[in-house]
Amino acid sequence: MNYDYLKNKRILFVDDEEGLRQMVCSILKKEGYRQVESAGTMAQALELCASWKPEFAILDVMLPDGDGFTLFEQIKSFLDIPALFLTARGEEDDRIRGFGLGADDYVVKPFLPKELLFRIQAILRRTYKEEAPLLELAFSRVDFERAEVIRGGEHLALTAKEYAILQALGRNLGRIVTIDSLCEAAWGDNPYGYENTLMAHIRRIREKIEENPSKPVSLITVKGLGYKLIAKSR
Amino acid sequence: MKSIMKLIKRFVITLIFSLAALLILNIILLFTVVQPDTESSGGWKAAARVAECLSQQPDGGYELTEEGKIMLEQRGCWAVLIQDGTGDVIWHSENLPEEIQLHYSAAEISWYTRGYVADYPTTTAAKGEDLVMIGNSKESYWKDMYPAFSLNMVKNLPRTILLFLGANLAGVFLIYMVVTSGILRSVKPIVQGIQALPEGEDVYVKEKGLLSELASALNLVSEKLRCQEYELKKKDQARANWISGVSHDIRTPLSMVMGYAADIEEDAEAVEEIRQKAGIIRIQSIRMKNLVNDLNLASKLEYNMQPVKMERVNLTALLRETAVYFMNLDMDWKYPVELSSDIGGISGNSVQGDKELLKRAVSNLLLNAQIHNPAGCHIRAGLSEHSGKLCVTIEDDGIGVTEEQLRKLKETPHYMLNSGTDSNQRHGLGLLIVQQIITAHGGRVEFGHGMEKGFRVDMFLNKPEESIKIVEKEA
Repeated sequence: MNYDYLKNKRILFVDDEEGLRQMVCSILKKEGYRQVESAGTMAQALELCASWKPEFAILDVMLPDGDGFTLFEQIKSFLDIPALFLTARGEEDDRIRGFGLGADDYVVKPFLPKELLFRIQAILRRTYKEEAPLLELAFSRVDFERAEVIRGGEHLALTAKEYAILQALGRNLGRIVTIDSLCEAAWGDNPYGYENTLMAHIRRIREKIEENPSKPVSLITVKGLGYKLIAKSR
Repeated sequence: MKSIMKLIKRFVITLIFSLAALLILNIILLFTVVQPDTESSGGWKAAARVAECLSQQPDGGYELTEEGKIMLEQRGCWAVLIQDGTGDVIWHSENLPEEIQLHYSAAEISWYTRGYVADYPTTTAAKGEDLVMIGNSKESYWKDMYPAFSLNMVKNLPRTILLFLGANLAGVFLIYMVVTSGILRSVKPIVQGIQALPEGEDVYVKEKGLLSELASALNLVSEKLRCQEYELKKKDQARANWISGVSHDIRTPLSMVMGYAADIEEDAEAVEEIRQKAGIIRIQSIRMKNLVNDLNLASKLEYNMQPVKMERVNLTALLRETAVYFMNLDMDWKYPVELSSDIGGISGNSVQGDKELLKRAVSNLLLNAQIHNPAGCHIRAGLSEHSGKLCVTIEDDGIGVTEEQLRKLKETPHYMLNSGTDSNQRHGLGLLIVQQIITAHGGRVEFGHGMEKGFRVDMFLNKPEESIKIVEKEA
C-alpha cells in the first residue's frame, strides 16, 4: 500500500535531551518524513504549535519547564492532533494518565527505532485515513472507503464483519493480529467464544481476496495465535 | 476474653478442691480435740461407777468401796444417794460441801439433773430405785440445759450440711468475683492490647488503675513496633525509589545507544563488520533494557510496592497476545511460538489475576528462551489443567540447562532475596520475577527440562474460586 502522503505530515518531537532530539529527527527523516521539528522545552513546543501547526506530536513527559501531560492538554486546547508519549516513566499510573488525556500511544524508553516508526505510522494511518488509497494485495485490492474488494475488475462487497476484520488486519499490515483482537474488532467488548465464527469469516474473506482460498498468500494463518495480512510486494 | 473465662474456671476448680481439703482437715482437727475430752468427760460414767461401788450394809446404811473413794478424790467430785419416794439423802461422800442440801423434791431432782447444784455441774446414775448424783468440780463441765432438737432437723442433716457447703461456696465465689472484677477490669484492655499487637494494629491502653505500669509498658512496646515498622517501610521505600530512579535515569541514554546501534546496523553503506558489531550493541542494549525493567519490577514486588490488580484474565488470550507481540518483533522468524491448549470452553481457561503482571511473567519466559538461544529455537506455550490447577507451560527445544544448573536454580537463593553476603548467589532477574509474580497470585513455579533438551517452566495458578478466596483472606 502506498502511504507516501503520510510522509508529508508535520511532526513535532519534544524532549529535553539534545542528543535524543537529533537522533529521533534523523531517524524520522531517514524514514522519509520530510517535515520534522523538535523542541526542548514546553514554551518552545507551544510556540511551534501556534506558528507551525504540526499534525502529530511526540512528547516527553519530563520537561524542564513543566510536564508533557500538561503540555498535551494545552496543545489540545487549540490544536486537535494525535500524540504519542515517549518517556522514561513506565509506571502504570503514568500510562493510564497519558491514555486518559487522549494520547494515541505510550512508548517507554528505551525503544527500538523500528518500533517507534511502526507506532507513528499506525497512528498517522488511523488519523488521516480519509486520504487512504486502496490496499494492494497479491491478487486483489481492498477499498476501505467503499467497503469492497476489487479482483480482476470484479467488485465484491464486504459485509460489516468482514470489513471490521480486514480493517484490523490492514492497520497491522505485515504483523500478526491475535484471534482475540480480531474478535474484539468484529464483535466488541466480550469477544470470547467467537473463534469458530471468526474462522468462517476469514474463509469468506479469502474467497474474495485470494486467487486460491485453500492456499492463501495474502491472509496467512499463524496456528493457534492469529492471522497476518501481507501487502503485495513491490 | 477466652483467657479470662479460663482464669475463672480454673479458680472455681481450685476453690472446690481447697474447700473439700479444708473440710477434711477441720473434721480431723475436731476429732483430735474432742477425743481426749470424751475420754475424760466420763462424768456420767463416774456416776454409774459410784452406783456400782456403793454397797448396802447390814445395818441398812451404805458404804463406798475404796476404789470408789479414790475415783471421787481424783476427780474432785462429791456424791449423794437420794432415796426414792422421800427425796432424802441416805448416803453422801465425806467431802460433801456444806451448801449442798440433804433433801430434794421431784422438781429439784429434775432441774438439778439437767443443770447444776450450787454451780456444781451434776451427773446422775440409778442405784436400784434410788438416784446417785455426782457434783463434779465447778471448772470441769459446761452443760446444755435444754438438750432437744427437732427430729426433722436431725433427719435433714445431710441435706442441710450440703446446703451449708453450697452456700459457703457461693459466698466465697461472690467475694472472689467482687475482689477480682476490679483486677479483671484493668487486665481486660491489656489482654486485648496484647492480642491486637501481632495483628499489627495500633494499640493504646489507658494508663490508670491497678495495672497502669503494665499498660504503659504495653503502649511503649506498641509505639516501638510502630516506629520499627515505619522505619522498615521507609527503608524499603527508599531502596525501591533508588532502584526506580536509577532505572529511570538510564532509559534516555540507553535509548540513544539502541537507536544509533540499530541505525548503523541497517545502514547499507556501512562496512559489514561494523554493522555486525552494531547489531551486537543493539542486542546487548536490549538486554540492558530488559534488565532495567526487571530490576525495577523485582524490587517493587519484593517490597510489596507493586499493587496486584485482580481481575478475570483469559489465559489463552493472554498467551496469544504475548506470543504475537514477540513474533511481530522477531523479524527473522527465528523463534516461532506455537500455542497448544488442552482446555476447551471459554470459562475454563480463566484465572483471577493481574493481567499486566501475568503477561510480564510469560514475556519474561519467552525472552529468556531468546536470550539463551541466539541460534533460534521453537517455543511451545501450553495451557493445561493439573489436579484442579491451571498450568501455563513455556518450553523450548534450545540448549536447555544442565542438571547442575537446574539444581542451582531450585536451591540457591537469588541475590535480591538474600540477606547474606556469600558469593554463592543466583543471578538473572527474569526467572525471579516469574516466581515473584506467580507467588503473588498464590501459585507456584516449576523449572525442568523441555522437549528434546530444552528448558521448561510450568506455572501453576489457582482456578477462580480458589483465587478469590485467597484474595479475600489477604484483604
